[in-house]
Amino acid sequence: MGEGGKPFEPKIIGFFCNWCSYAGADAAGTARLQYLPNVRVVRVMCSGRVSPELIFRTLRDGADGVLVLGCHIGDCHYAEGNHRTAKRIPVLRKLLSYVGIEPERVRLEWASSAESSKVARVVTEFTETVRALGPLNFGR
Amino acid sequence: MASVDLERIRAILPTLLTITRVERQSWQKVADKLAELDGILALRADHGGAVPHLYRPGDDLSDLVLEPRYPMALTLNLLLAHYPESRLGVVVRGCDERALVEMVKRNQVNLERVFLIGVACSKEQATSCRCATPYPPQVMAGEAVEGVEDDRLGTYESMSVEQRREFWTRQFAKCLKCYGCRNICPECFCRVCALEHGLWVELGQLAPPFPSFHLIRAMHMVARCVGCRQCELSCPAGIPLTALYSLLNRDAEELFGYRAGRNVNEKPPLVLPLEEKR
Amino acid sequence: MGYSNTLTICPYCGTGCGLYLQVLDGRAVGVLPAKQHPISEGMLCIKGWNCISFVYHPDRLSQPLIRRAGQLEAASWDEALDQVVGKLNEVLQESGPDAIGFLCSAKCTSEENYLLQKLARSVIGTPHIDHCARL
Repeated sequence: MGEGGKPFEPKIIGFFCNWCSYAGADAAGTARLQYLPNVRVVRVMCSGRVSPELIFRTLRDGADGVLVLGCHIGDCHYAEGNHRTAKRIPVLRKLLSYVGIEPERVRLEWASSAESSKVARVVTEFTETVRALGPLNFGR
Repeated sequence: MASVDLERIRAILPTLLTITRVERQSWQKVADKLAELDGILALRADHGGAVPHLYRPGDDLSDLVLEPRYPMALTLNLLLAHYPESRLGVVVRGCDERALVEMVKRNQVNLERVFLIGVACSKEQATSCRCATPYPPQVMAGEAVEGVEDDRLGTYESMSVEQRREFWTRQFAKCLKCYGCRNICPECFCRVCALEHGLWVELGQLAPPFPSFHLIRAMHMVARCVGCRQCELSCPAGIPLTALYSLLNRDAEELFGYRAGRNVNEKPPLVLPLEEKR
Repeated sequence: MGYSNTLTICPYCGTGCGLYLQVLDGRAVGVLPAKQHPISEGMLCIKGWNCISFVYHPDRLSQPLIRRAGQLEAASWDEALDQVVGKLNEVLQESGPDAIGFLCSAKCTSEENYLLQKLARSVIGTPHIDHCARL
């Protein structure tokens, strides 16, 4: 339940990489695809830029979920940036699970600039996942 | 006037009494080698404890001891940073050697002119450290014993999500932000530390509600922590830090086939592209 | 290349944790906790870990300084003490002992703190003495 008896609206921050997934999100907008509005999109140059420090700060500051979208493996504009993300995020999810934060609150997906419907689908799915988990409220 | 806490004194007496003075004969090889080197870094008995000390050629080695443990990699790093051309010996346990291996991989130390004097830990030491590998690859003193499992891991993993959150919130709430864990860690060498950066860590807040410090530290210890337990021993709040780091490093082994300190040619997985295990 | 560790007590609070000063070539370069110390048992707080930060700090006072015309100038101990006694006496004459307050410190020894309160109460005659731990 959210505040004041209203249904809980998850606050989700999405880190989308400039070259693929952000362009894909843009394309979803151009195509007028419907998707849930809970994700606040932050454009980063590469998903590899999304450090653990950044994710923890995001959760600390009020996000109920963090969505990281990057280019498919092999398509990264910086060759191997997304390789780092691919390794880092699973470990971070394990850490969250050990300290009692549901790992499902952090999700990593690959989406190319042509995959606008995937972006829309993932955003909506992830929003519903986080809604079901409820507000994070870790130490708040 | 407060009375002396006899219980506290009694509790640490066993530690004081197990400080072993190493027999001169068994260190003859070490003493001989000392003549060729600029010095040997080892623990020296001091005021009922021990302390890292640089023995120079000609020094008497009879006060060389093995306990209480200090992370030798830290001091070796300090000496080599100031005297990179020096030829040094260093008495290392398993964890010291593993720490040095990880530092070599990160270009923080050059072991070309370093002579490692391996010492195996006793069964008691291995048990108190919950150490999986209580010996270095080459053992010059002591007899290697089998590793011991960390019995805490099973307990923590069997907790539910709510139990874990409650447990770790309580643990992190005890934190004094002394930075002792970071200071004593043989792997922490960054000149600009993320844990001191106001953007990522709530500076000046004692036990902030969200444990950014500890989560960041845990992530930095992935594929890096060698289980020396010095951070936990230095924690005034008794937070079971290495339980968390051990869990994550077990995951690193499952995910990347990597174990910290095992092989100097194994590159840290998080800097490598996928499928590459150079 | 001379490296050694010297056992000492943290100069900050009254707990008196034991620690080792790491000394390389005659210069303090770091701190290690004293694992055998019955009080600190190998642990330190943030102040203990950083207790050498003032030793070589550029702002550390190395001689008495007197502010003249808005500028701090080097002075001898005699000049500085004359200044202190002179000014305290001025205030004492003009406004009486209650106008003077004294602050002692956990960084001073018990003996030094005792002397200061003797100075405050018996010599100057003021009851206004306090301690940094109460701040």
